[in-house]
Amino acid sequence: MEHANNAVRILLSLFSIIIITTILSARKKHLFIRKIAGLSALEDAIGRATEMGRPMIGVPGLGSIDVVTLQALSILSYIVKSSARYGTRLIVTVPDTSLLPVAQESLRESYASAGRPDLYNPEDVRFLSNRQFSFAAATAGAIMRERAAACFFFGYFYAESLIFAEAGQQAGAIQIAGTPSTTQIPFFIAACDYVIIGDEFYAASAYLSREPTLLGSIVGQDYCKIVLFFLIAAGCIAVSLFPGLGTALTGIFLKG
Amino acid sequence: MLMPKHGFSWFAFSAGALLLSGILLALMQLIPVSARRYVIRFLTFLAGLYYVLEFFLPVHSMPTKNDPHAVGNFLTPFLLPIGNYSPVIIAFTIGLGVVNLFQVHSRRLIRRDSETLFSVAFFVSFFAMLIIGLLDKAHPNSINKNLYHLLFDGFLQSLDATVFSIIAFYIVSAAYRAFRVKSIEATLLLVTAMIVMLGQIPVGTFLTHTLPEPFHVEVIRGWILRQANSAALRAIAFGLSIGGLAISLRIWLGLERGSYFEES
Repeated sequence: MEHANNAVRILLSLFSIIIITTILSARKKHLFIRKIAGLSALEDAIGRATEMGRPMIGVPGLGSIDVVTLQALSILSYIVKSSARYGTRLIVTVPDTSLLPVAQESLRESYASAGRPDLYNPEDVRFLSNRQFSFAAATAGAIMRERAAACFFFGYFYAESLIFAEAGQQAGAIQIAGTPSTTQIPFFIAACDYVIIGDEFYAASAYLSREPTLLGSIVGQDYCKIVLFFLIAAGCIAVSLFPGLGTALTGIFLKG
Repeated sequence: MLMPKHGFSWFAFSAGALLLSGILLALMQLIPVSARRYVIRFLTFLAGLYYVLEFFLPVHSMPTKNDPHAVGNFLTPFLLPIGNYSPVIIAFTIGLGVVNLFQVHSRRLIRRDSETLFSVAFFVSFFAMLIIGLLDKAHPNSINKNLYHLLFDGFLQSLDATVFSIIAFYIVSAAYRAFRVKSIEATLLLVTAMIVMLGQIPVGTFLTHTLPEPFHVEVIRGWILRQANSAALRAIAFGLSIGGLAISLRIWLGLERGSYFEES
């Protein structure tokens, strides 16, 4: 089991303080987030599905219940809230039984908060299989059979990412993907219309809801990245000027 | 109490755990939804606090049978037993998954629509695997073993491999669409991909071997992969890690908003 060393203790504590402080102070300020093309395109995708009168399909990745999957469900529930106004269905396929009740509850609440609880259909949240390629084949089949007009892939993905994206492409769906799996980003870029890269994935719920608490968290993340940037730059300059400094700092900061 | 039990103790602890789980579930159902959220938040905070403290507190040598160089603190011995709670809770939901599959497919069978055949295939596969799997466990003779081997390795594994192999063809069609010269970004992608692909194969090396060394395609490929690509991937990884920290903090401290975390 891994444990924190001094560098991790200092940096994690510092970043946590920065993020919590900006979250708590966010309610008093008007915070700005730049435009994220992939997230702005969600409305277009919903509109397209509504015009075509065909359902949409959402996949919250291959993960179990963790922060990435919860974030993916957050985005999908936003899509449900928006699409419920037009009566457009979102079918969610899940690869994990523990995710099934969470996804069902999330969709049910989203339809209810959009004022259309009647649109919720428990069959629209489907557990398909917990085997990677069985799930991929079943989801690809659902995309083709339901003739999905829009596909949303958010969460952890592995080798099966291209199977989903190509199935969506063959069905003529507009596709938006977002994943923290850096190895799958190129596949989604090649096959999808819009891809949310890196920490944009974690900014999605703040961007979509404009909730001050979440916006504060995003601004806090940006402050942390600025701190990290200066630390890296200062470290590069320092070890270039004083070659022995690296060993000395390693001794102090990498101590358990 | 957190150590593995055997014999009568195992039965007593299992029965006690089931009874306690039943009482807790009943209590959770009795309290209002708004209060339930506070209970969940408190338990989330408590569980998170344990892992934070275990990770942050100073460590000392704590050798085990498997790892004589292991280190830890006073919370480390509880990692495994506490980590086991997660699969136990997840095991409760396996039944839900089966019920969901049965509901979806039995309704399709009743409706007799165009997807009925898939539902028939589901029920046949489900019961075949269940019956043969149970028979193999109960009577592990050669017939049952061969039947299980036929279903698992002959059908399921082969079907998995088939679906996996489709990716090779999908890569070609996705690459064809992505690499079409339709914008500056797509052109950059095409040029970079061409250089990396040529740098991977002997013919690429042969084509540029007469040029000065910095212009050898394998050298350019190496630079793209090691410098440009690694820098971009590390930048993405930094952003992801900080984003992960932020969302974890929000969930841990009950500051998360949106679906499933909304104030009632």
